[in-house]
Amino acid sequence: MTPPAIETDGLSKQYGDVVALDELNMTVAQGEVYGFLGPNGAGKSTTINLLMDYIKPTSGTARVLGHDPWNDVVACHQRVGICPDRFETYESLSARRHLELVIDTKRADDDPRALLERVGLADAIERPAGEFSQGMEQRLALAMSLVGEPDLLILDEPFTGLDPHGVALVRDVVEAESERGATVFFSSHVLGQVDLVCDRVGILYEGDLIAEGTLPALRDTCDLSSDATVEDIFMRLTDGSAHAGEVDA
Amino acid sequence: MALPRWFPVARKEATTLLKSKGTWILAPLLVVWGYGPTYISWDTLGPDVTVGFVQVAGSLLLPLCVLLLTYRSIIQERTSGSLKFLLGLPLTRTEILIGKVFGRSVGAVVPFAVSTVVLGVIGGFKFGLFSPLRFIGVFLVTVLYIAVLVSVATAASAVTTSTVRVTAVVFGGFFLLLTLGWKIVGVRLYSAVTGNPVNPLDPPADGLLFAILRLSPGRAYRTVTNWILGLANSGGQYTSVATVLYPGHSVNEYVVDAAFSGQPVPAYLHESIALVVLLLWGVVPLALASYRFNRGDLA
Repeated sequence: MTPPAIETDGLSKQYGDVVALDELNMTVAQGEVYGFLGPNGAGKSTTINLLMDYIKPTSGTARVLGHDPWNDVVACHQRVGICPDRFETYESLSARRHLELVIDTKRADDDPRALLERVGLADAIERPAGEFSQGMEQRLALAMSLVGEPDLLILDEPFTGLDPHGVALVRDVVEAESERGATVFFSSHVLGQVDLVCDRVGILYEGDLIAEGTLPALRDTCDLSSDATVEDIFMRLTDGSAHAGEVDA
Repeated sequence: MALPRWFPVARKEATTLLKSKGTWILAPLLVVWGYGPTYISWDTLGPDVTVGFVQVAGSLLLPLCVLLLTYRSIIQERTSGSLKFLLGLPLTRTEILIGKVFGRSVGAVVPFAVSTVVLGVIGGFKFGLFSPLRFIGVFLVTVLYIAVLVSVATAASAVTTSTVRVTAVVFGGFFLLLTLGWKIVGVRLYSAVTGNPVNPLDPPADGLLFAILRLSPGRAYRTVTNWILGLANSGGQYTSVATVLYPGHSVNEYVVDAAFSGQPVPAYLHESIALVVLLLWGVVPLALASYRFNRGDLA
């Protein structure tokens, strides 16, 4: 039996008195496209930071593709592609060098140009990333995440800083990777993009997973009509305790 | 044999340094800084005075610049978020540190090697053919010293959480106290511990004093290079050491041969121990930093 792509059990992270993530229990099956949703500060990035071993948990356990994400980081990251949130690229290095760093470390045989073509950056292959716009940096990071045909693609706020073309491109990449058989786990506070790409969503609110399921199932739970959007579900679930302003897009 | 997993990280670090203008400014600066024959050092060393130029190049400006080129290597990536790319690779955190140290060392060695060649050509031309073995020996020990400096600065960069703090630790602590000012600090430390006053022009033949002095990575480096030069057992710059040994001259520098004149010298003051000290500086801070870096939150 293949292990789940992501499995967490009582996963918690505290900073002093502040609970960033409160006993998260979540399972993402292999092959799924899972949208991890919630307002800013809900704990989405904390979860991803924990799964990627950027930070260590206060308590709880997690498995990523069957590996311990903190003690088995090499085996784990060999099969994971990450497009992080809030990053800067290396300003003096070209797009090609960025990709070579990942390709060579993963010992993959991807062609940097082909990867950049997939994200619409092939023209900029020799340009230093210091000259890139935020959208171009985001595309470059997306290309880096695709190296080595990862079994699990983790995209942290992948729509940030992208124009409508870029947003459509991320959706295409997610679909293509899913068709290849990869699991895609992405976080977003921009709820509008989610309906189109996700098999399943989880809604995180104040460090708690308050709902999880397919969109039709969540509509049923919330007693909403079949044309209800993720926004509607989200507003119903948080029952006015989330002010519109907190779900900032 | 396959390259180590961290090799692409090292290549990225070396490329980053070699693409920066600051790295290349180092080469001419080191030539100007290192070239400085004195009559006494020429009279003592002959053509090998050229080898001494390399030591001088490696003595003050080189450590300062190497530290400048390295001290932000991790903290900067942490603040900007680019560290998330490195941490997301199939590498342990220790491997990331090793890749950083190796790559930045190579990036700093290249301009130093250029200035060494230039110093060798100028010196050889003016003062005659020097011992190539001594020249290469001092070059290699300086390469080791560069790696040690990169290792210390990387260690500091990995465990501090703000640029201000890493600046204070690397320049205020390591460079100012341990490298530049250790002759004063170390002697004061010795006097405080033993209660013995020290006359810098006529230091006591006490092994402890000299042992404390060569704990400084800079003095350990010069002890080893003076040994290769066949000059004397001292952590001072070769020109000062030559002056202390020169009849009728004296200068504020600590030379074992002069202080112990005739008395037995403790075995731990052998120059090879200074090489061990240098190696420890390269390994211990990085190992401690790696221990903490492996356990901390980095985003």
